[in-house]
Amino acid sequence: MDRELKERVRRLSQFYWKTGRMPSYSEMAGLFGLRSKNAVFRFISKIEKLGFIKRDSKGKLLPAGIAEPIKVLGIVEAGFPSPAEEELLDTLSLDKWLIENPTSTFMLKVTGDSMTGAGIFPGDLVLVDRSLTPKSGDIVIAEVDGQWTMKYLRREKGGFILEAANPAYKTIKPKKELRIGGVVTAVIRKYR
Amino acid sequence: MMEQPLTIVSWPKAILHVDADAFFASCEQAVNPALKGKPVVTGLERGIVAAASYEAKARGIKRGMRIGEVRRLCPEAIILPSDYETYSIFSIRLFEILRRFSPDVEEYSIDEAFVDLTGLRRLYHSSYEEIGRNIQGTILKELGLTVSIGISLTKVLAKIASRHRKPAGLTAIPGREIHLYLKDLPVSEIWGIGPNTSAYMKKLGINTALEFARKDEAFVKRHFSKPFQEIWHELNGRSIYPVNPEEKSVYKSISKARTFTPPSGDRNFLYAHLSKNLEDACRKARRYNLFARRIILFLRTQDFRDEALELRLTRPSAYPEEILPLLRKGFESLYKDGTLYRQTGIILGELVDSKSSFQLSLFEEPLRIERLERLYTVIDRLVERHGRGILFHASSFDAYFQKQHEGERGTIPSRKTTPLKGETLRRRLGILILK
Repeated sequence: MDRELKERVRRLSQFYWKTGRMPSYSEMAGLFGLRSKNAVFRFISKIEKLGFIKRDSKGKLLPAGIAEPIKVLGIVEAGFPSPAEEELLDTLSLDKWLIENPTSTFMLKVTGDSMTGAGIFPGDLVLVDRSLTPKSGDIVIAEVDGQWTMKYLRREKGGFILEAANPAYKTIKPKKELRIGGVVTAVIRKYR
Repeated sequence: MMEQPLTIVSWPKAILHVDADAFFASCEQAVNPALKGKPVVTGLERGIVAAASYEAKARGIKRGMRIGEVRRLCPEAIILPSDYETYSIFSIRLFEILRRFSPDVEEYSIDEAFVDLTGLRRLYHSSYEEIGRNIQGTILKELGLTVSIGISLTKVLAKIASRHRKPAGLTAIPGREIHLYLKDLPVSEIWGIGPNTSAYMKKLGINTALEFARKDEAFVKRHFSKPFQEIWHELNGRSIYPVNPEEKSVYKSISKARTFTPPSGDRNFLYAHLSKNLEDACRKARRYNLFARRIILFLRTQDFRDEALELRLTRPSAYPEEILPLLRKGFESLYKDGTLYRQTGIILGELVDSKSSFQLSLFEEPLRIERLERLYTVIDRLVERHGRGILFHASSFDAYFQKQHEGERGTIPSRKTTPLKGETLRRRLGILILK
């Protein structure tokens, strides 16, 4: 892959990451140092074939390969497009896989043993997404007496209850409103 | 006359200003439910209030107040050291959420932004006010922070609108209602008008923003310089200042200062801090490819008096190696034996961008400058990888190896003292941690 193409793809990707949208044709002309929109069109068609971008049913540009930071690394210093490269273009970073909504995801270090039955132990790290709507059966973080508590959310007689995954803990039936801080989406335990 | 609208067009442009409420304190409350609804103050390590939650403000606590005074005023206040790591992640997320609504977002400060919403009503099938509510709701849901929002025709008016109702307020001022909001607003409350200008306006018989806006153009041109003419246009609903979505990279000046407790009268210790301030400021300047022609150094005494001195360089520079000898001279003439100082600081001014924009004078040795450039490129790379403590000028030594604060002011945020497995002091997960 030639250097110029690589540089242009990098700029396109950078633009996408910075603004969260695809640039217009005139913006791309500026981005790529091209004078005519026709030249931009030709370049866009080329990288579309390479799988860096795609189009929707109306022909609007969508990010494809450029939307993954790892993918761009995948093309560094490669001579010809090879099958191995194509494979790389589809990898997902561990970050993205674990964190679907980066702006609303928080981390919490587990302290108690009330969720051991669900495989969550003291010292574990859990990821909590504030933007998800909690459903019955989700593990959630709730605010109880000025502290975060992690429990199963269950529906019971029209209301919600918080249920531990450890028989030593009683079920919490919130008297006032239940303040949920987010839905637990993953548990991380790092050994070394 | 005073009842007539300033303009009859409702929304030729729509600019939204977001201002996070009691930002630092709210960040602390968002991650720690034990702090919700309580008076929370940040800034313990500086000895003065950096931010106060609304519960604390209700008890008379203000920004800049000394921590000792906070304790007397409100013994139950929870006083925390600043955790800038956490605040800046909140800030980045706040701007990301805004960019979901419009690509034109200007990051004005850590907790403030302007968003250009012009033309987006059709896309969202809603009024500008509803878009504002939607933004407010999203920020509350995802970050647990409340923000105050102002929407109007210009940046100056949007800023007036966001201040109109706080906290968690939303005020939209369409063209035909501008005059209603300016009627009782003192000129000193307008963005960009300082105490000097408002005193001058008073002499001209102008007390409120509306009185200023109603002056005719000839009068404004006769009495005011360009920045104030621009504000006058903005108050009348004619947008002059664009929302600038570029990353902030133009600095008018760069300053680095450090406070330490207890105050010190130690000549070497003070100079070491000043030297470190200079190194930090120059590093930041180099990062943006800026070079300074003016350098201001100041010492703040125990009783909050500033003593400052300005150095002028014959050629713009961002290399401590050549500035340090001048700094030493400046420091010696400023420092008084037997005085206790609590802060040292450096301000770089008259910044020019990149070396190419100034000429080397005939008497400079280009080789020497090139050598400096190479040297600092290496230093910057090392520091970027391993931290500031890896390589610094010997003159800064004492500042690195003596604690900045003794006693409780030495408190550091818990995020720093309890790293997660695999984290180090310099490399940490870029995620918000609930407490």
